[in-house]
Amino acid sequence: MSQPTLPKHDAGEHDPKTVNQQQDATAKPRTRPTLNLQALGIYIAAVVIFLIFGMLNGNFLTAGNLRDIAISASVNAIIGLGITFVVITGGIDLAVGSIASFVGIVSATLMVNAGTSPFLALLAGIALGLVCGALNGVLITKLKLPPFIATLGTMSIYQGCAYVVTNGRPVYNVPKDFVFMLNSYIGGVPVAVILVAVLAALCWLLLRRTVFGQNVIATGGSEETAWLSGVRVDRVKIAVYALSGMLAGVGGLVIVARINAAQTDAGSPYLLTAIASAVIGGANLMGGEGRIAGTLVGALILGALTNGLVLLNVPSFYEQIVTGLVVVIAVALDQGSKGWPMMKKRSREKSEKKEVTA
Amino acid sequence: MVAPLLELQNIAKSFPGVRALNDVNFTLERGEICTLAGENGAGKSTLLAILGGSLVPDHGSVIIDGIRRAHFSPRQALAEGVKIAHQEPAIVPQLTVEQNLLLGRTSRQRREAAADIDQALADVAQMGFPLNAKAPVQGLSPAQRHALTIARAMAFGAKIVALDEPTTSMLEHNVEGVLTRVREIAHTRGVGIIYVSHKMPEVMSVSDKVVVLRDGTVNYTTAIRQTSEQDIVRNMVGRELLAFKRQHPMQPNAPVIFSASDVTHPTGVKPLSLDARAGEVVGIAGLVGSGRTEFLRAIIRADKGSTGTVRIDGKKRKIRSPRDSRNAGIAFIPEERKHQGLVLQVPAYANVALTADRQFNGLGPLISRRKQIAAAEEAAARMSLRPANVRLNARQFSGGNQQKIVIAKWTWRNTKVFLFDEPTKGVDVGGKVEIYELIDALAHAGSAVIVVSSDLPEIISLSDRVKVMRQGQFVSEHTGDDINEHSLVANAMGIAERTTT
Repeated sequence: MSQPTLPKHDAGEHDPKTVNQQQDATAKPRTRPTLNLQALGIYIAAVVIFLIFGMLNGNFLTAGNLRDIAISASVNAIIGLGITFVVITGGIDLAVGSIASFVGIVSATLMVNAGTSPFLALLAGIALGLVCGALNGVLITKLKLPPFIATLGTMSIYQGCAYVVTNGRPVYNVPKDFVFMLNSYIGGVPVAVILVAVLAALCWLLLRRTVFGQNVIATGGSEETAWLSGVRVDRVKIAVYALSGMLAGVGGLVIVARINAAQTDAGSPYLLTAIASAVIGGANLMGGEGRIAGTLVGALILGALTNGLVLLNVPSFYEQIVTGLVVVIAVALDQGSKGWPMMKKRSREKSEKKEVTA
Repeated sequence: MVAPLLELQNIAKSFPGVRALNDVNFTLERGEICTLAGENGAGKSTLLAILGGSLVPDHGSVIIDGIRRAHFSPRQALAEGVKIAHQEPAIVPQLTVEQNLLLGRTSRQRREAAADIDQALADVAQMGFPLNAKAPVQGLSPAQRHALTIARAMAFGAKIVALDEPTTSMLEHNVEGVLTRVREIAHTRGVGIIYVSHKMPEVMSVSDKVVVLRDGTVNYTTAIRQTSEQDIVRNMVGRELLAFKRQHPMQPNAPVIFSASDVTHPTGVKPLSLDARAGEVVGIAGLVGSGRTEFLRAIIRADKGSTGTVRIDGKKRKIRSPRDSRNAGIAFIPEERKHQGLVLQVPAYANVALTADRQFNGLGPLISRRKQIAAAEEAAARMSLRPANVRLNARQFSGGNQQKIVIAKWTWRNTKVFLFDEPTKGVDVGGKVEIYELIDALAHAGSAVIVVSSDLPEIISLSDRVKVMRQGQFVSEHTGDDINEHSLVANAMGIAERTTT
């Protein structure tokens, strides 16, 4: 049956030439600011939150406290970086917390019980995270499981594995060298923070400056388009989950170094906060959108809230409420800039002018 | 005199750039079966949508039982007994037959609906499909589902029923039972039926009257007794040709550079073969659903389960995925530009680079945006992309310019074969000519071009040769003067053999 053709723009009556020339002249300045504004919102929010806490408590903005915030945000940031890639492809990874626990317990066991050198244990942990993540990717692409279901399943499996390794017992007395690698200071800057910076820079390059990164965005934007353009969509997805698993593993190792021990479920609290960091930072669960810097800021905001509320002697039970509110508000604002009915009318008028007849 | 059951007066409806309906007048009496005929894009869907209340006409009015309906919403349409049975059965597979019949009714209405349910089930049974009320729809065949949809539309005090291609999934002997029952219901209950079908023998046997739409106007109205299949088809075709003529028709002795053989697709494309020469534009015409898109997708192996052999320049190429086909020099420009051709939220240049591996890399593994932008700008300049700014997101371009971006994904590569699926869908008239010129230029540069289109004037003005597809097979090939609307439509609808010998 025939379908009426419904081009979304209305420019049939205008003389194309004149419209086009206007468009050519104005196109650039018109798009740039809107893009930046959206990304800017989160930075402004971060600054505002820091200033408010700073005003409420004099100790908040001291160098020592800011360093504490950065350290406490580092695990969320590392895991959140991987989540950002996954979310950009339109997926979700619920297994990151379990992978962090599993990797932490395995590496610690290797060092404490098997006497493996800290460096090798570190590499083994990273490799284990990568394999766990890749397995998620294989389940999702080859068995066609929805990402939510596949990683819900492996979340439980990897957590179970972590318990099995030590029969549920924590591993104490992690070698000093290992702790030194991930929980010390270089020129007053915590290693974990340097690690976050390096990983974030690499992730940014990977996402924005490689073919792989462009394929990740294309896969999330329109999987069919990517597939028909010759992108090996399955490989992209497996790689993204492997990356997420690997970074979760790194996160797990940082946790071990920080508390000097491996707990069997040390990673689980980071699942939701890492996803929240990515989402606050502008990652869209529908796919196609996400920002590395945004995720870092998201993690910082969550770290600042936890820290600030403690300084203000707010009972820790309230922390979760505030965290939840921040997630809801951040996403609502992001959506609002795109499509709340009230704001839609205005932006639609604009976009209609923007489109030009062929 | 009693007012007719349904009267459409001066209905007009425009979409941006397209006038879908223009001054349509139409009457339907009680118990009458009226066929609505017309090519793809003649305005049938729009007319049904207005009747069902889902589109509001720009001008004109819908008059039911002599009462003018001003704001006719889908809800009001249903309350008035106006039912539309769509081509794709609108039923919920997880529910039972009975639950589907009751869908959308409140619990109070449901209690009163027992008689209607029995009636509907009896109707389905008489059509030749005895169904168990408690059986889940999941286990039903497509034909049974269609029959259920028809019976549902006719039940619950229906006054006006539109059946849109109701028999596509049915076998010959089932169709007869269905049509007989439809006629009986129309006559005994006084239901007015609007029947949309491309199957001419059905149209001739079931209808009392035929209305032919062409270019959004009623071109021909007559009692079925006073007409013939040929007359109906003649009145369907003859749309205005665009003022476009190929500047560079194929050179007569050009070599065959593309050859696909034994191509099959899991949805039922029979083994098909097609060759194309350098500089040739091969059109593939046919009705929607005849398997044209599937044929193209099978060539590039976009769907699992496709088979076939592809030769480029006489050499066999191993193609197992769109990636292999891309690397073999085959481009596929799909029908759904926004979902299959572009990533809307990234810049035009990133879309153009989507078909690249390392070609735009700068330092080591890092891409060079400058190279991507330069390649995109070069293509944009050649195709006069407007606006010419390739940093804009793909979303911000109009239909025709989006299509240029999709084409640019392939022109920077060494692409020898271009497969176009509905190249100008949703493109306005000025944009169409530009796309045609691009296709002509691609052929002139030595590529082979295959164009699937439902727009007959488009196929006719572009193609050196036209293949017509019907039910997953090529049924005819046309060249020269034989490329005309009448012969293409006759073959697409399967009435050529019996009328031309």
